[in-house]
Amino acid sequence: MTSKRATKGEYIETDTGNKVSRRSQIIGTTNIILGGKTVIQAEVIIRGDLLRAHQNGAEKQGTPVAVAIGRWFSHYPLKIADHVFIGPSSVIEAALIGSHVSIGANCTIGKFAIIKDYVKVLDGTVVPPNMVVPSFSIVAGRPGRVVGEIAEGEIEGMDLREVYRGIGNG
Amino acid sequence: MSSKRVSNMPPPPKPPTTLASTLIIAEHASLTGTHLIALGANTAIHPRTKLISTFASITVGSNCIISERSIIGLQSEPENDVEREGLVLEDSVVVETGAVVEARLVGTGTTIEVGARIGKGAVVGKHCKIGPLSEIGEGEEIPDFTVIFGNGMRRIDRSGVENQKLKTIARQVEVLRKLIPSNLAKFQ
Repeated sequence: MTSKRATKGEYIETDTGNKVSRRSQIIGTTNIILGGKTVIQAEVIIRGDLLRAHQNGAEKQGTPVAVAIGRWFSHYPLKIADHVFIGPSSVIEAALIGSHVSIGANCTIGKFAIIKDYVKVLDGTVVPPNMVVPSFSIVAGRPGRVVGEIAEGEIEGMDLREVYRGIGNG
Repeated sequence: MSSKRVSNMPPPPKPPTTLASTLIIAEHASLTGTHLIALGANTAIHPRTKLISTFASITVGSNCIISERSIIGLQSEPENDVEREGLVLEDSVVVETGAVVEARLVGTGTTIEVGARIGKGAVVGKHCKIGPLSEIGEGEEIPDFTVIFGNGMRRIDRSGVENQKLKTIARQVEVLRKLIPSNLAKFQ
């Protein structure tokens, strides 16, 4: 096995196991925290420069989810939990995406949407702003609606360990 | 593969521009083409936005917000004189991520949401909202206050909150002014 420095491949691997594509565009890196073993693929744009502008006193800095919308315009932090897969050309403006969520290709997750754990968002879905998607649901359509439930047996397939291992080792 | 990719092509020609002094334009925005690009006061251009004036001029009013990865400008030869006149975004137009605008005119206060496509020569009225991933065909005319949502469904929204919406956009621009480092000199 070659050392991490010598491999001039598609992905840059960090000490905590994050794999970041050289062709991704990450803006405002100081405000982005990767939890480790995160894969950022090619052509991804992550905006960290759009931070929350109006911090009110009661709110602690770095609170993962801000639910209060004042009458002032503000950006808000986005938290993506573990084992989340986001398909190509999808745009995420949600407030929170829970664990084991799989989002298909060409989806739009609206502002302030909250997606709970074990949710499947099918290809081409438009999740409207402020929608809260309950756990174990399947969402599809424009605008997105809950169209089904994830059965207990299907949960195993939503673990992304194998997918993580398969990326960047070629 | 080298990480430093150097292009052998000559850099694309810099288009003639008229930029207002209060414009917020990120360094990584791209302005290409040969016709005039005029950007108004207090307008925010996010990084990775493409404004293409190869086939016709682009005029953007004041207080507009143009998000990353959106493409503004005709992408093919104009077919008639009306299209050749250029593309005009009036004041307080918000173009969200990944939208493609080839329209002839987009009215004041209109929001074009994520991934929407406005066809060549289309006219979008004032205070419209074009929902995510919607498409407007070539030459189509959308009346004022139209909301396009879902799979091309339409309704007229006369709730009378346009002025509040314009104020929100103005505040949004003020927030963006603090967040996006502007590099006006690069594009002049």
